[in-house]
Amino acid sequence: MVSQGPLLLFAFLALLAGGMAGLRWGRCWLISTVAGAAAALAAGIWVLATRAVWEWHGPCAIGGEIPVFRLDGVAALFLVLLAVLGAAATIYSHEYWSEERHPRSACLGRVWWNFLLICMGLVLLCANGLHFLIAWELFAVSSYFLITLERSRLEARRAGWLYLAASHAGTLCLFAFFALLAARTGSWQLGPLRDHAELKPLFWVALVGFGLKAGMFPLHIWLPSAHASAPSHVSAILSGIAIKMGIYGLVRFTSWLPTPEAAGWVVAALGMVSAVLGVAFALGQHDLKRLLAYHSVENIGIILLGLGFAMIAQTYGGASWGRLALAGGLLHVWNHGLFKCLLFLGAGSVLHATGTRRMSRLGGLWRAMPWTAGLFALGAAAISALPPLNGLISEWLVYLGLFGAAGSRGVAAWAAIPGAILLAVTGALALACFVKVVAVVFLGAPRSPAAERARECGIWMRGPMLALAGACVVIGLAPILFWPALSSAVAAWAPGWAADAAPVPLRALGTFHLALVVVAGAASLALWHRARRNGLTRGPTWGCGYAAPTPRMQYTAGSFAGIITEWFAWILRPERRRHDPAGLFPRNAADHERTPETVLERVVEPCGRMIMACSTAVRRLQHGRIQAYILYLVIGLAVLAMLAFAGGHR
Amino acid sequence: MIPLLLIPVKLAAWLMLAPLLPGIINKVKAWVAGRRGPPLLQVYYDLARLWQKEVVLSNLASPGLIVGAAVAWVALVCAAVLLPLGPSDSAVGFSGDALLFIYLLALSRFFAAGAALEAGTAFGGMGAAREVSYAVLSEVAIIAALLTFALQSGSVSLNQMLAPSAGPGAVLLAGGLFTVLLAENCRVPFDDPNTHLELTMIHEAMILDHSGPPMAAALHGAAVKLLLFSVLLAQAILPLGELAWGRGLALLAGMVVVITVGVGLVESLLARLAFRRVPLLLTTAFLLCLFALLTAWKGTAS
Amino acid sequence: MSSTLNLLIGAALGCNLLALASSRLPSMIRAAAIQGTLLGLAPLLMDHEVGWLVALVAAGTILVKGIVIPYLLLRALRAANIDREERPLLGFIPSLLLGAAATIGAVAAADALPLLPEHAASLIVPGAFATLVSGFLLLIGRAKAISQVCGYLLLENGIYLFGMLLITATPLIVEAGILLDLTVAVFVIGIIVDRIQRAFDTLDTTKMTSLRE
Repeated sequence: MVSQGPLLLFAFLALLAGGMAGLRWGRCWLISTVAGAAAALAAGIWVLATRAVWEWHGPCAIGGEIPVFRLDGVAALFLVLLAVLGAAATIYSHEYWSEERHPRSACLGRVWWNFLLICMGLVLLCANGLHFLIAWELFAVSSYFLITLERSRLEARRAGWLYLAASHAGTLCLFAFFALLAARTGSWQLGPLRDHAELKPLFWVALVGFGLKAGMFPLHIWLPSAHASAPSHVSAILSGIAIKMGIYGLVRFTSWLPTPEAAGWVVAALGMVSAVLGVAFALGQHDLKRLLAYHSVENIGIILLGLGFAMIAQTYGGASWGRLALAGGLLHVWNHGLFKCLLFLGAGSVLHATGTRRMSRLGGLWRAMPWTAGLFALGAAAISALPPLNGLISEWLVYLGLFGAAGSRGVAAWAAIPGAILLAVTGALALACFVKVVAVVFLGAPRSPAAERARECGIWMRGPMLALAGACVVIGLAPILFWPALSSAVAAWAPGWAADAAPVPLRALGTFHLALVVVAGAASLALWHRARRNGLTRGPTWGCGYAAPTPRMQYTAGSFAGIITEWFAWILRPERRRHDPAGLFPRNAADHERTPETVLERVVEPCGRMIMACSTAVRRLQHGRIQAYILYLVIGLAVLAMLAFAGGHR
Repeated sequence: MIPLLLIPVKLAAWLMLAPLLPGIINKVKAWVAGRRGPPLLQVYYDLARLWQKEVVLSNLASPGLIVGAAVAWVALVCAAVLLPLGPSDSAVGFSGDALLFIYLLALSRFFAAGAALEAGTAFGGMGAAREVSYAVLSEVAIIAALLTFALQSGSVSLNQMLAPSAGPGAVLLAGGLFTVLLAENCRVPFDDPNTHLELTMIHEAMILDHSGPPMAAALHGAAVKLLLFSVLLAQAILPLGELAWGRGLALLAGMVVVITVGVGLVESLLARLAFRRVPLLLTTAFLLCLFALLTAWKGTAS
Repeated sequence: MSSTLNLLIGAALGCNLLALASSRLPSMIRAAAIQGTLLGLAPLLMDHEVGWLVALVAAGTILVKGIVIPYLLLRALRAANIDREERPLLGFIPSLLLGAAATIGAVAAADALPLLPEHAASLIVPGAFATLVSGFLLLIGRAKAISQVCGYLLLENGIYLFGMLLITATPLIVEAGILLDLTVAVFVIGIIVDRIQRAFDTLDTTKMTSLRE
C-alpha cells in the first residue's frame, strides 16, 4: 500500500533527478519532471479525498530544528494546482524554450525550473517556521533566476531586480513574523494556536509579507514588469501558482492564528481595491503580457474578497455564508491558476510566432493560429467569469457568500453590499478588457508583417494549453465533482464550519451549464448550416465608402478601452504625447499614450529617490581621510561625554 | 414533472412574442408623429426575410462571427428561461440563479461584441467599445436591484426574489430599472435605433457587417432582450407571484405592454443624449437602485 | 404622519443629488427651489398640532425659498446673459457619488447618534447632514457664482432641517430673521453678479484669483 509519504518522496526525487538531468538531456528532464508532478498530484488528491492529514517528523535536526512536514486540506489544494500547472508549463517549455531557440539559457532554465517547483512544494509542506522561511527564500531566489533567464535584455534584468527587492522586503516581514511567533510561543513548530490572543497583532506583519508576494493592490509594484518580461512559461507559473503562495500563507495563518477583529474588513477592502484597480490598470495596457499581469492583481483581489468575508464570518458568526465565500475564494485559486496559465501560454505562443507583445502590432492571428486563438478565447471567457466555464463557479460562490452576508442584515452587510457591487464592476470591466484583447490580437486584419507571417505553434505547446482549457471546461460543467475537495479545505481552515454543511446548488448550476453548451452548440451548427444553404459569399469589409483602408486604421486597443480608462484617469494617470497635424498637407502627426505603474512611479520611486538623496548626503562623511575619522571620533566622544555629564547632573 | 413540461411552452412564448415589442414601439412612435407607421408584425416579416437571405461575410471575418451571433442569442434565451412568468415559476430555478442571470447577459455581450469586431471595422469597434463600457454601469445597477430583491425576499433565487412586490422602494426601483432597460436595449436616450450616422450608434454599429441568418439572430436577440427586461421590470414592481394564474399572467402582459408603450413615448419625446452624458444618467439609475436597496433594508428592519 | 414626512425628506434628498448632477444652472436653481418648497411643507407634517406660528413659518419659507429667491437668481441669470453650461471643478459623476455616499453615511451615522426616541425613526437628522454635505460639495466643486449661491441655499436648507427638531422652541423672529438675511443676500448677489459680468465678462470665480493684489 502506497501512502502520501512515498508519493511525495518520489515526487521530490524525480524533480531533483530531472533538474540534474536537465543540464544535459532535455527529454529525460521532461519525463522525470512530469512524473514527479504526477506523484505530487496523486498525493494532493489523496489528502483532499480522504481528509486524512499526512504528517512526518524528521529523524534529525536541520539548522537546530526537527523538520516537520504536514499535508492537510489547505496545503493539498495548493499542491494539486502546483502539480497540474507545473506539469503543463514543463511540457510547454520543452518546445517554447528549447535548446535550438535558446542555446544559452535552456539548460540552466530547466535546473532553476525544477528547483522552483521543489521549493514551492516545500513551502506548502513545511510545518516548521525556520524551514518554511528557508524554503520561501529559496523559492524567491529561484524565481528571480527564471525571470532573468534572458539576461541580455535590459528589461528582464530590471524586472528581476525589482522583483528581488520587493520579494526581500516581503521576506523581511516574514522573518519578523516567524521570529516574533517563535519568541512568543517558544517554538518554531507551526500549528493551530487560535486561543493565544496575544498573537493577534502579528497578523498585520504577515499581511504585508504575504501580500507583497500575492501582489495585492498597493504592494503589487513588482508584479506587472516581472510577469511581462519573464519567459512565458515562467510568467504562467509565476502568475498561476507562485503568487498564490502569498495567498496560501494568508489562508494558512488566518486559520492557525487568531486574527484581530479588523483583519477581515481590511482583507476584504484590499480585495475590493485590488479587484477594481487591477482590472482598470489592465484596461490601460497595450502590452499583451503586462495586461495579463494586471489581471492577476484583479483575481488576487477576488480571492482576498472571499477570504476576507470568511474572516468576517468567523468574527461575527456567519458560518453559512462565510463557508461559501471561502470556498469561492479557494476555488478561484484553482480557477485563476488554470485560466491565467492558459492565457500566458497562449500569449507565449503569440510571442513565439510574431516576436512582439505589442497589441498594436498584432491582429488577425486566428487565420494562422486557429488553435491558439480558440484556446485563448476560451481562457478569456473563463477569466471574464462567463458561463459555462470555471471562472463563473468561483465568483458565483463568492457572490452567494456576499448575498448571504447582506441578507444577515448585521454589521457584515455594510461590507457585503459594496463588495457585491464592486465585484460586479470587476466582472464587467474584465469582460470589456478581454473582448478588447481577443479582438485586437486575434480578429480583424494583421497590423504588421510579423503578424502576417505568424505560424501556429507545435504540438508540445498546444497540448498543455488544451489540457488546461479542458480543466476549465470540466470545472465549469461539473462543479459538484470538486466540491468535496473544497469542503475538505474549508474544513481544514475552520474546523467548526463543516458541521452545518448545506448542499450548495452546484449540481443545478452544472446541469444548466451542460444544457447551455448543448443548446449553444446546436444553435451554432444550425446557423452555420443555414448560412451555407442560403449561400455564403465573401466580400470586403464595409468601409463607409472609404477607398483605401489599411489594417492600421482598425480600432486599436487604446481606443477600445478609451471610455473606461477616462473614468479611471484619476488613478491611471495616462501619459500622453501628442503631435497634432498642422497646416494644409500635414506630414507628421503622432499620439503616444502610456499608462504608468502609478504606485511604483508616483509613490515608491520618488520615496526611493528621496532616501537615496539623504543617503548620498550622509555618504559624504566617508571619504577615506584618517584624520577626519579621528575628528569624528573626538566629536562623538565629546557628545557622549556631554550627555553623560548632563545626565549625571539630573 | 409538469413544470418541466411547461418549459417548451414558455420558450415558444418567449420566442414568438418577443418580436411584437419593437412593433409596438414603432407603432407608438408613428402614432405620436401622426404617421401610419410600419405594420405591427413588421419585425416578423424582416426576420423571415433575413432567414432566407444569403450571407455575405467580410474577408477578414472568421466563422466566429456566425458562432458569436448564435451564442449571443442562446445566452439571452437561456436568461429568459430563468425568469419566472408571474405566478408561474421558472422550472429551472435554483438558489443563486439570479447571479447566473447577470452572467448570461454578460455572455451574450461578450459574443455579440466579439462578432462585431470580427470584420475589423472601426465602426464595429466603436459600437462594441460603447456597449461593453456602458454595460459596466448598467450591470452595477442590476446587481443593486438584485440585492434589493434578495434583501426583501431573503432568497437568491429569481422565483422567490421576484414574487413579492418591491415594497417601499418600488418607485426608485422602477425608475432605475427602466433607465437600465433603455440603456441595455440601446434605445433613446442612449442610442437611436433609427439613426444612420455610424459614428453615433451602439447596437447598429455592432451589427453593420452581419447579414442573412446571423443578422436575424441579432435582431431576434435584441427583441428577446427587450422582452426580458420588460418582464423583469414588471415583476420587480408588481407582486405578480402572489396572484392567481390567469390574473397574474394578464397583469404581466398588460404591464409589459405599458412598459413598451413607455419606451415608445420616451423615444418620441426625448432626444439622444450626448455620449459624455450617458455615464451620468446610468450612474443616476444605479443610485436609484441603491437607494431602493437602502429603503428595503431600513423599511423591513424597523 | 412620520412616513409622509420621511417621504418628503427623501424627495428633498433627491433634490440634493439633482442639484449635484445638473450641468445647467437653471435646473440647479430649480432643484434648490423645489427642495426649499418641500422643506417649507415639512413643519406642517410634524407630529404636533399646526399652530398659526408654524403655518406662518411654512408659508414664509415656501414664499422666499420656493418663489422669491429662484426668481431673483433666474433673473440675474437672464440679465447677465451667462453661459448656462457649468464647467465643474469636481466632475458631475464624482460629486453625485460623493453626495450619495454622504446620504448613505448620514443615514448610517444617525443610528449611532443619541437622539430623542421620537426623532430616531425620522429622516430629519440624516437628511440635514446629507443636505449640508451636498451644499458644501456644490460650494467646493462648482466655479460659477450662481452655483455657489445654490450651494449656499442647500447649506441653509440643511440648517433649517436641523432647526425643525426645535421648531416649537425657536422663536418666530429668529426664523424670520434668517429668511430676511437670505433674501437680502441673494438680492445683493444678484446685483454683484450683474456688476461682475459687466466688468469682467465672466462669472467664473476661478478667474477671480487674479484680483488678489
